[in-house]
Amino acid sequence: MENHPSRRHFLALAAATGALAGLPSFSASAAPQRSTEPLAAPRHRLWWQAPADDGSMITQGLPVGNGRLGALAGNDSGRELLLVTDATLWTGGLNDTLDSDGQFPYGRADFGSLTLLARLTVEIPDHDLGAVSDYRRTLDLDNGVVEASYVRSGVTYRRQVFASRPDDVIVLHLGQDGGGRYTGTVTLEGTHGETGGTAESFAGSFANGLRYGAAVKAYGTGGSVRVSGSHISFTDCRELTVVLSGGTDYAPDAAAGYRDPSLDPLALARGKARAAARHSADSLLRTHAADHRALFGQFDLSLGRSTAEQRELDTWARVQARAATGDPDPELEATYAQFGRYLMIAGSRDSLPTGLQGLWLDGNDPDWMGDYHTDINLQMNYWMADRLGLSQCFDAFTDYCVDQLPSWTDTTRRLFQDSRNRYRNSRGKVAGWTIAISTNPFGGGGWWWHPAGNAWLCQSLWEHYEFTGSRAHLEKIYPLLKGACEFWEARLLTTTLDDGREVLIADSDWSPEQGPLDAKGITYAQELVWILFGNFRAAAAELKRDAGYAGAVGKLRDRLYLPVVSPKTGWLEEWMSPDNLGETTHRHLSPLINLFPGDRIRPDGSTPKDILDGATALLTARGMDSYGWSNAWRSLCWARLKNGEKAYQLVVNNLKPSANGSNGSASNLFDIMDMGGGRGIFQIDANFGTPAAVLEMLLYSRPGHLELLPALPAAWAASGQVTGAGARGGFVVDLSWRDGRPTEARIRSVGGRTTTVVHGNTARTVTLRPGQSVTLRDFAR
Amino acid sequence: MRSPAHSVLPARGLRTVLVLALTAAFASAVPAAEAQSPAQAPAQASAPIAAKPYMGWSSWSMQSSKYPGLNDKGDYSYLTEANVLKQTDALASKLKQYGYDHVNIDAGWWMDWNWKQGYDEYGRQKADPARFPSGMKAVADRIHAKGLKAGIYLPAGLEKGAYGDGKTPVWNAEGCTTADIVYPDLRTTNGWDSSYKIDFDRPCAQKYIDSQAQLIAGWGYDFLKLDGVGPGSGKSGDQYDNVADVAAWHKAIAGTGRPIHLEASWSLDYGHAADWQKYTNGWRIDTDVECYCNTLVSWENSVDDRWDDTPAWTGKAGPGGWNDLDSLDVGNGAMDGLTKAERQSYATLWAIAKSPLFTGDDMTKLDDYGLSLLTNREVIGIDQSDNPPARPVTPSDPQQVWAAKNADGTYTVALFNLAGSPSAVTADWTALGFTGKASVRDLWNHENLGSFQNKITEALPAHGSRLFTVTPKGSALASTGYEAEASGNTLGGNASVAGCDACSGQKKVGNLYQGGKLTFNDVVVDKAGTYLVKIAYISGDSRSATVSANSGNGTGHKFPSTGDWGTVSTVSVPVTLKAGANTISFDSGSGYAPDVDRIDVPKSPR
Repeated sequence: MENHPSRRHFLALAAATGALAGLPSFSASAAPQRSTEPLAAPRHRLWWQAPADDGSMITQGLPVGNGRLGALAGNDSGRELLLVTDATLWTGGLNDTLDSDGQFPYGRADFGSLTLLARLTVEIPDHDLGAVSDYRRTLDLDNGVVEASYVRSGVTYRRQVFASRPDDVIVLHLGQDGGGRYTGTVTLEGTHGETGGTAESFAGSFANGLRYGAAVKAYGTGGSVRVSGSHISFTDCRELTVVLSGGTDYAPDAAAGYRDPSLDPLALARGKARAAARHSADSLLRTHAADHRALFGQFDLSLGRSTAEQRELDTWARVQARAATGDPDPELEATYAQFGRYLMIAGSRDSLPTGLQGLWLDGNDPDWMGDYHTDINLQMNYWMADRLGLSQCFDAFTDYCVDQLPSWTDTTRRLFQDSRNRYRNSRGKVAGWTIAISTNPFGGGGWWWHPAGNAWLCQSLWEHYEFTGSRAHLEKIYPLLKGACEFWEARLLTTTLDDGREVLIADSDWSPEQGPLDAKGITYAQELVWILFGNFRAAAAELKRDAGYAGAVGKLRDRLYLPVVSPKTGWLEEWMSPDNLGETTHRHLSPLINLFPGDRIRPDGSTPKDILDGATALLTARGMDSYGWSNAWRSLCWARLKNGEKAYQLVVNNLKPSANGSNGSASNLFDIMDMGGGRGIFQIDANFGTPAAVLEMLLYSRPGHLELLPALPAAWAASGQVTGAGARGGFVVDLSWRDGRPTEARIRSVGGRTTTVVHGNTARTVTLRPGQSVTLRDFAR
Repeated sequence: MRSPAHSVLPARGLRTVLVLALTAAFASAVPAAEAQSPAQAPAQASAPIAAKPYMGWSSWSMQSSKYPGLNDKGDYSYLTEANVLKQTDALASKLKQYGYDHVNIDAGWWMDWNWKQGYDEYGRQKADPARFPSGMKAVADRIHAKGLKAGIYLPAGLEKGAYGDGKTPVWNAEGCTTADIVYPDLRTTNGWDSSYKIDFDRPCAQKYIDSQAQLIAGWGYDFLKLDGVGPGSGKSGDQYDNVADVAAWHKAIAGTGRPIHLEASWSLDYGHAADWQKYTNGWRIDTDVECYCNTLVSWENSVDDRWDDTPAWTGKAGPGGWNDLDSLDVGNGAMDGLTKAERQSYATLWAIAKSPLFTGDDMTKLDDYGLSLLTNREVIGIDQSDNPPARPVTPSDPQQVWAAKNADGTYTVALFNLAGSPSAVTADWTALGFTGKASVRDLWNHENLGSFQNKITEALPAHGSRLFTVTPKGSALASTGYEAEASGNTLGGNASVAGCDACSGQKKVGNLYQGGKLTFNDVVVDKAGTYLVKIAYISGDSRSATVSANSGNGTGHKFPSTGDWGTVSTVSVPVTLKAGANTISFDSGSGYAPDVDRIDVPKSPR
C-alpha cells in the first residue's frame, strides 16, 4: 500500500500538509523505499520493429523521464543512444531589457532555451543491427519502461531503459538469456563543449551562471568493467547496468535569482549514480515501476475492441493502417491517449512543467526555445492532467506560476508602461502582473507582451481547483488571481457602444498571432477577463478574503463587453468588428476560448442561440485540418458542441502518420508540426491536448453539472469504459457504456458535494461527502 | 550469337591467326597449364565468355576520386603500370580464390598526365610511356602470370586526335586512311563527342575496328570496355547511335580469334537491349557509380539510383550478357564513403541482380568488413549461380523486397530499407507465391534463422539490407484474378481500356493520369485481413499510384519501370480487405500512374 497511495489518500495528504511544496530541482534525496513487487503485466504497449536513427531521434527515439531528468532512447542493437535532458538546463535569464519596440528579446542568449544535458552512448559492435534478427522494442506504458530485444547467434538479448523518480537516475540495463556476452564501451558526453570531465562525469556552467553536472556508473556481472580513457569499457559481461544522474543548481526562487549556490550538481550527480549503483537493475526497475504505476493506474480507458488484424501490427504499421484504411482502431486510439498520460508522468513531476517539447530534445536549438508559450501551448499541456487521472502532475504547472510570480510582477511594474510598448495601458497606470507570450524559468519573458496571458494561466489554475477541490491549491494560486485582477482593473477602458451602453473593454492587444496588432476589446481578452473576474470572486468567497475587492471586481465583470455575432460573417466576432481581419482557417481559436476551455458558451439553452450559432459557424470556418494542437483544440470545441463525429475526426487527424514533416504523428507518436519545406518539428502540446479531447467526448463537467457521453462518436459507441476520470466540482467518475448509452456510472467525491448527472433526458442529482461514492444505472435515452 | 569459339592466341607479331575451336566440354578438360606461357599471351580457355557475370577489379573508381593520395599527378592519374600491378598482386592474393579474376584498365592508358592522347602511326591508341613504361602487352603478361585476365578500355568512334588530317593510314587496310572511315562532315559521336562518328557503310570502317581489335588481342587482352556508347551515355539520335560500332567490334573480336569479353558503357538505351544482347557480353545500365568527389562513391550519387533503374532490365540478363551495375566499391568504408549498411546493400543488389562483381577499391587497403563483404561465398554464389536475377516483388517504396525463384524451389529474397532511418521490412510469403511456413537462411551472417510462418520481418538500418534463401515448406498460393478491363470496373477521369498484346486478355486500363482512377468493384474474399494483391502493370517509366480498398485513403506506391509500354511486370502490395465484397482502386492523383493489366488476390491473407 505504501507505494500505491490512492488518489484520495494523496489529496488528503496534500490538504493536510498545506501547499504541496515543490522540491528543489536537484537535491539529495532520502533513500527510496525499495519495491519488490514484480512488474505489472503490461496492458498498454507500443511496439516497433526497428530502432531509431541517430539523426531522427525526435521522431523515432522513445521517451523516458522522471519529471525532471528525461531521455530519448534510440535502442539500436549495436549502439544505444540516450539524449538526456534536464528540465532546468536553460540558458538565458530575466531578460528585462526591452527591445526598441518595447517588446522582449527572444534569443537563446537573452531569453534562453532549454538544452540537452548529455549524450550517453553504449557501443556493442558485435550486435550490429545488420547481424541480429527478430528485433523489436516496446514502450510499456503501465510500468514506464522502454525495452528492446533481438537475437544474435541464437541468444536473445534484452535491454531496459527507464527514468526512476525514487532513485533520481536514468537506468539502462542490458541482459540476455542463454550464454551471450556484451563487449563494448559506454561514453558520456556533454553537449556544450565542457572540459575537464572524466569518463564517468562532467560539469559545466552557462553564461547565466547556471551550474550543472552529470555522472554515470556502469556495473556488470561476469566479464570486466573498467574506465579506459574517455569511456568505460566492458568486456564479456553477461549483464551490464548503466545508471546516469545529472542536474543543475536551479532553484525555483526568484529572491535567490533562481539559483541555489549550496547545490553542487556534479557532486550530487556522482552521489546519486553511486547510490543507485549499489542496487541491482531489477531492484531499481521494480522500485521505479511501482512509483510509475501509482500514477498510471489511477485511470483506465477502453474505447472498444480492435480487430485481430489491427492488434497484430506494430505501432507504426498500425498508425499507417489506421490512416490508409480509414477504419477505426479503438484500442490504438485509447493507447494514444494513454501515451499522453505516460508523457505527463515522465515529464511533469516535482520540477518545472512541460514546455513546447516537454523533456525531449534532439539538440540545443529547439524551435521557440522549447519554452513556455502562454497563448495556448502551456495551458493545453495541462488540460488532460485532471481529466485523465493525473492531478498530481498538474502541480509542476502551479508551482511554476507561483515561483515566477514575483519576477512577473516586478517586470510588469517596471517595464509594461514603457512608452515604446504598444500594449501599455493607455490610462497610464499599471498594477498586478502579466507576462509575455513566451516565458522561461528565470522570471523572464520572450517575444511580445501578452496582456491576457495572465488571465489564461489563472483560468487553468482555477480549473485545477474545480477538479480537485484542494483548498491548499486555491491558497497557492490566490495571489496569482488577485494580481491578475489588479492588472485588469488598471487596464480596462470604458467605452460607449452604439446603443449607448457603457462597457469595459481591453486596451490595445493582439488576438493571438493574427489580425491587427492594436485592437481594443478583442474577444480573447474580454472572455478571459470575464472568466478571471468570476473565478476571483469565487476564490475570495471560498477563502473568505478580500470581500470588498471581490465585490468591486464583480461589478467590473458585470460591465465587461462580451462579443456579438458579426452580421457580415455570421461568426462570433474576434476583434470587436464585423470584419474578418485575419485568416479564416487560422490555427488559434482565441475567440472561442469561452467555448473551451471556458464554458460560457454552451449548447444547453443557457446561451443565446445567435451566440451559439456564431461560435459554431466560426469553428466550422476554422476547418478540420490544422496543426496537431489546433486540431486538439478544435476537437475539444466540437465535443463541447456535442458533435462527436467532428471531435473524433480531429483526433484521428492527429493520428495520421507524419511523412516528410507533415502534420501528424511521428513513429514514436510524438506530434509533428509541419514547418513547410519538408521540415516537421516535435511539439508536445497535441500529445496532451488530444487525450483531453478524447475524455471531453466522454464526459463534460462543470461544478454542479456532469454529463455522460456528451459527444460519443460512432467509432467508440459499441462499448467502452473509463475509470478515474476527473470531473469539475470535485468528483472522479468511472463510466461504462454500451451501444452508445451509459450502463453504469460511479461518482466518487474527492471534495465535491452536489452535482447533477445528466445523460440525454435523464438527470439525477447526487449529493456526496468527500470520499463517498454512488453508482448510477438505468440511463434512458 | 555470342562467339562460342575458344582460341589460343598466336604469339605476338604473328599476322596469321590460328583459331582453335573448342567445345565447352573440351575446354573444361584442357589443362590450365597449357595456357600459361607468358610468351604466348594466354586465353584461359574455360567457360564460354560471360557464362556468368564476370568478377574482378577496375581502375576507374580510384582514378575518378579526389580521395587524398590517389591522383597526385592530376585528375585520373592513378592509372599507372605500377598501380595496376600492385592491384594485380592484391587481387591475386586476396580475392582470386573467390572468383575475382579480371584486372581492368580503364580510361587514360593512352593519355599523358594532362589527358593528352597518344596514337600510333595507324591512328590507334598508344600506351602513354609515363603511365605504362613497359607497354600494354607487358602489363597483360604480368596479369596473366598471376592467373588473371586482363582488361582494357576504348571509347566508341574514331577519336578526334586519331584522325590526323584524314591521311593517317589504317593498319592492314590497303588504301584506307582515317578520312575513309568517318562521315565527310566529321560529325562527332559518343557520350563526350570526343570521336568522329564512323560510317560503317564505308568499306574501310570495319578495317579500322579490326586494327584496334588486332592490337589489343595481340597484346593479350581478354576484356574490352567500349565506352561512351549510344544510344545511351547521355545521348540519343542517329549521330549517337553506335550500334554499328558495337557490331563492328563484335565482328572484329571474332576476327582476332581471341575470346575477348566486350562490355558496353554507359547508361545504355533500353530500347536497344536486343542489340546489346546480340553484340556484347554486358552493358552498363546506369551512369557511373562514382561520385567524382572525395570518396570513391556516395550513396546518393549514385549508388542508390540502381534500385530504381535495374528492375526494367532484369529480364534482359542471362548467360552471355549481363546487366552491369558498375563498380562494387565496398571494400574500404572510409575510401568508399559509405556506411557499413550501405556497403552491404550495395553488394546485395549487385549479387541478386547478377551484375558483374568488379570492385574499384584499393585492394591493398581492404578493411575487415569490406573483405568479408567481397568474399562471402554464399553471396557470391547468388551472383554466380544459374538462378535468374531477382526483381522487386514489392513497389519501389523506401522499404522494398526483391526475390528470384530458384531452380531448386527455394527463393533468393533481399530486404532493403532505402530510407534514411532504420525501418522494419517484411517479406510476405504470399508475395512470393506460397503460403505457410518456410525456413530462412541469412546469407550475410551465415546463419539459419529458423522457420517462419507467412512472412519474415527484420529491422534494417538506414539504407540497410538482408539477404536470405527462403525454402518453402508450405503450399502453393491460390489466387483469384480480376482483369482491369472487366466491364464491372469503374473508370474515372481519363482512364480507358486499351489493347495490350502482352496483357492477359490482351487488354489493359491506361490513361491513369491527373485524376485517372480504376476501381475493381467486386473483389471478394472469405476472411477479413491484409492481402498481398499482385498487380500486373505496364509502365515505360517509374510511376506512382495510390492503392486503396473500400473507403480508405489508401497508400501511395511507386511502381518500377517495366522498361517499355509493351512489357508487363508484377509487384504485390498489402491491401486490407473485409470479408465479402470489396472495392480496390488505383488512383493517379495529380500525377501519372502505370497502366494496369490485372490484379490477383490471394485466397489467404498475409
